[in-house]
Amino acid sequence: MSHSDFPPLQGEPAPAAGMNRRSFLRTSAVLTTGLAALASSLRPLLELEDYTSVEQFMQKYYKELTPAEMAKVLKRIENEVEKQYGIRPQVRDLRPMDGVEFVYALNLTRCIGCRKCVHACVQENNQSRNPEIQYIRVLRMPHGSFDLDQSEHNYAPATVPEKGYFYMPVQCQQCRNPPCVKVCPVHATWQETDGITVIDYNWCIGCRYCEAACPYWARHFNFTKPSIPKERLNPEMSYLGNQPRHQGVMEKCHFCIQRTRAGRYPACLEVCPAGARKFGNILDPNSEVSYILRTKRVFIQLKEELGTSPRFFYYFDV
Amino acid sequence: MRRATREYLVFLWRCGRIAFVGDWRYYAWMGVLTVICLLGLNAYAKQLVHGLIATGMSDEVSWGVYIANFTFLVGVAAAAVMMVIPVYIYDNEELHDLVIFGELLAVAAILMCLAFVTVDLGRPDRFWHLIPGLGQLNFPASMLSWDVIVLNGYLLLNVHICGYLLYCRYRNVKPSKWFYIPFVFVAIVWAVSIHTVTAFLYVGLGGRPFWNSSIVGPRFLASAFTAGPAIIILALQVIRRLTNYRITDKALLTLRSIVQVSMLINVFLLVNEVFKEFYSGNLHVASSKYLYLGLHGYHALVPWIWTAIVFNLVAMFLLVLPLSRSLKWLNLTCVLCIVGIWIEKGMGLVIPGFIPTPLGQMVEYRPSLNETLVCLGIWAFGLLCYTVFLRMSVPILQGRLSKANEGPGRPA
Amino acid sequence: MDEHSPAEDPGPPRKTNLVLGTLLVGFVALAAAFALNLWGRQAPLDAIPLVDPALLDTATNRRSYADLVRAKEDLSDFDCYTCHEKNKAPTLRYDEHQNLLIPTEHSDIVMGHGEHGRNNNCFNCHNETNLKLLQTRDGRALQFDDSPQLCGSCHGPTYDDWEAGAHGRISGFWNRRLGAIKRQDCVNCHNPHAPAFQGRQPAPGPHPLHGPMVKPTAESGH
Repeated sequence: MSHSDFPPLQGEPAPAAGMNRRSFLRTSAVLTTGLAALASSLRPLLELEDYTSVEQFMQKYYKELTPAEMAKVLKRIENEVEKQYGIRPQVRDLRPMDGVEFVYALNLTRCIGCRKCVHACVQENNQSRNPEIQYIRVLRMPHGSFDLDQSEHNYAPATVPEKGYFYMPVQCQQCRNPPCVKVCPVHATWQETDGITVIDYNWCIGCRYCEAACPYWARHFNFTKPSIPKERLNPEMSYLGNQPRHQGVMEKCHFCIQRTRAGRYPACLEVCPAGARKFGNILDPNSEVSYILRTKRVFIQLKEELGTSPRFFYYFDV
Repeated sequence: MRRATREYLVFLWRCGRIAFVGDWRYYAWMGVLTVICLLGLNAYAKQLVHGLIATGMSDEVSWGVYIANFTFLVGVAAAAVMMVIPVYIYDNEELHDLVIFGELLAVAAILMCLAFVTVDLGRPDRFWHLIPGLGQLNFPASMLSWDVIVLNGYLLLNVHICGYLLYCRYRNVKPSKWFYIPFVFVAIVWAVSIHTVTAFLYVGLGGRPFWNSSIVGPRFLASAFTAGPAIIILALQVIRRLTNYRITDKALLTLRSIVQVSMLINVFLLVNEVFKEFYSGNLHVASSKYLYLGLHGYHALVPWIWTAIVFNLVAMFLLVLPLSRSLKWLNLTCVLCIVGIWIEKGMGLVIPGFIPTPLGQMVEYRPSLNETLVCLGIWAFGLLCYTVFLRMSVPILQGRLSKANEGPGRPA
Repeated sequence: MDEHSPAEDPGPPRKTNLVLGTLLVGFVALAAAFALNLWGRQAPLDAIPLVDPALLDTATNRRSYADLVRAKEDLSDFDCYTCHEKNKAPTLRYDEHQNLLIPTEHSDIVMGHGEHGRNNNCFNCHNETNLKLLQTRDGRALQFDDSPQLCGSCHGPTYDDWEAGAHGRISGFWNRRLGAIKRQDCVNCHNPHAPAFQGRQPAPGPHPLHGPMVKPTAESGH
């Protein structure tokens, strides 16, 4: 290519000053319209509301917040919830109790697959109704098989239980060796001393690596702004538990941390009509979960061979 | 010091200015790419407002084309540095003046990778949580933290190498060996590491048996070193056609032999993978069944993977035949390689890992219009960057854009 | 053999002008299209009905005699001697297949405690000498509110589990130091005359975000 291919570079003789000016005008006209198109392409951002506030953006990591800073954060969350739902909640930061390690035991002889636990959990933990987020997924399994590829998630018979099947609810197993904690690039999820794997919703960047890593499909993402009907909001909240989440962050079962750290049973357990769910402190030899793990001959941890060491035990009445 | 800075700024200004100057074909190309970029930007703005529901992703398939493209492009970025090996280790003359085009491709590819990861985040405003010191980078446990470090490091490495060499050429000054040779050798190792780390993102997940296999890492590298040099073969011919930069056919054929060997290894590894998945008949192969044969009535990926396999096999045969020494056939082969490997790494790796879900549910994935526009926008952005890099570097390398013709007095 | 492209004539400025002109128009059109938001509007989500609040109810199926006493409700139904004669055990009648014939006064009772009519004798559990009491197989008399012991006299392992908290329903506080529990009795869930649970309609299943793309073939059942 010869030099005449390009408009002259600085220092080379210009063919004619007039052409230079014209080409300059020409180029700047195109540039200007290009910039206008660029600005216009960002028009949808005008609809961006409540994405983040300065305080939310600057908020420190949960483990680095001083008690005073945490109090301010809790107040801010209460204000945000009141602004959105018209109900003033109480948001607390409950700490783990000493000498407590939570364990869940689920009796597969008793579960009838009614899914009441799924909906009690949704109600207690302020999960989005549309799009739907549910921490618990009840699997219908064929009699005699634990192959999860044979499971049915959308069973809808007239009555449950159905002959020839058993039902297995799956939620976060609060593993002792959690793969989700290992892979999170920003430490937004970690395991507390009482065994609950928690998420700092205000720290999560929404990369969804933890969702890919979880072998139990227990972690769920807010693909858009969650929607909770005002009349169904549960105003008793905790920071690491059921405070309403925002678009773009992960959430999952946290053993009803706002209830269990106050000594109560989780919502799924209380609603189960068959009494299939058992929960308590494994470090207390008198708890029902200690009794179960001591006396039942057969209990199963899902996908045990992956080395996750779940704190969720499925047992049978033998 | 001030003078050195001013001179550098003049250099940057002239480089920037020349990016806006060209003939009608240049304007047409850049114009179309800009339009596609803007369409992508607009689509991303919508995604920012509404959230990732604007894509086809869901809790069941939580990574899609963004991460698929990211994975493919990390491979391209790694392989672009492939040319460095014959030149710096084996003193290949033909490729000596062309290495920089590979490194510039690596820079463009890394920029695309960073863009794809950013658009995939649910909360991109919280990116600062990843910065060590400021945030809480989970190094060394999380492979994503490794990826953040190695990708940015690789970007800086290549920007330094290219920037330094081009600036020296601009000033007609011999580059000092210590300022670039050690970095080049580091880049060779680093290139392998960026793709291995990306592979380990997948391999490390015990809950996904489709990915939790030791063949993923070697497969990544083999496919990257097939697709990367294939892209460079095509890019060099474009450069040769549009400028009169000296690019010999021998250089292209050297690259061809790299593609040839890599593709042979890639196909061999594919055979290994298929045998392992299907021979023993154990139950962990649901994802492979879904991909190659369809499962429980779901078979959206089957035509794609078989197309990719056919492309790869045809490309492999063409590569071993002397037929592909002719540029016409070589170009066809390169296209087959690139498309086949893009399908393999995207749809053939990322998506099947999610189907069925760890609880056995079958939910398929299709990218939405918005998602597709964002992808096209980022690809256009990458091509835009690479074109600009070439637009700046070719005149510098040919001596037509140099300090000598800066002109008196004020800068342009 | 190197291939040189012939020295390209950039063409008359007309071509460049044409291209730039098209770009200009294109950008303006694009800017307008963006401003008017012509495509990519977020489709509204399919409605998902809110779950029936009855499904969130934690109450048990039945209330025990002890519950009724605690709630100070009308217990006249439990005063057996308003109809029966004192010191006279009621007569049990059976049909030709040994099925118990329920008298019309107790028509709300459906017998179904054990297969093959195993428990067809009311006085396996009820005390025939004092109808206000229950009795175990070894002859111990029990108050109605002590009914778990009656159940446990046959269902030993289940009773042990119930006592330890592994069977049946407990609500309240797992940490007994912070609050009380409510342990349900056997009869809060099980009808003593027909203890097996009836089926119930399950709550609605999950709604995935994007729904299945491909209608699966009949064989899948997924």
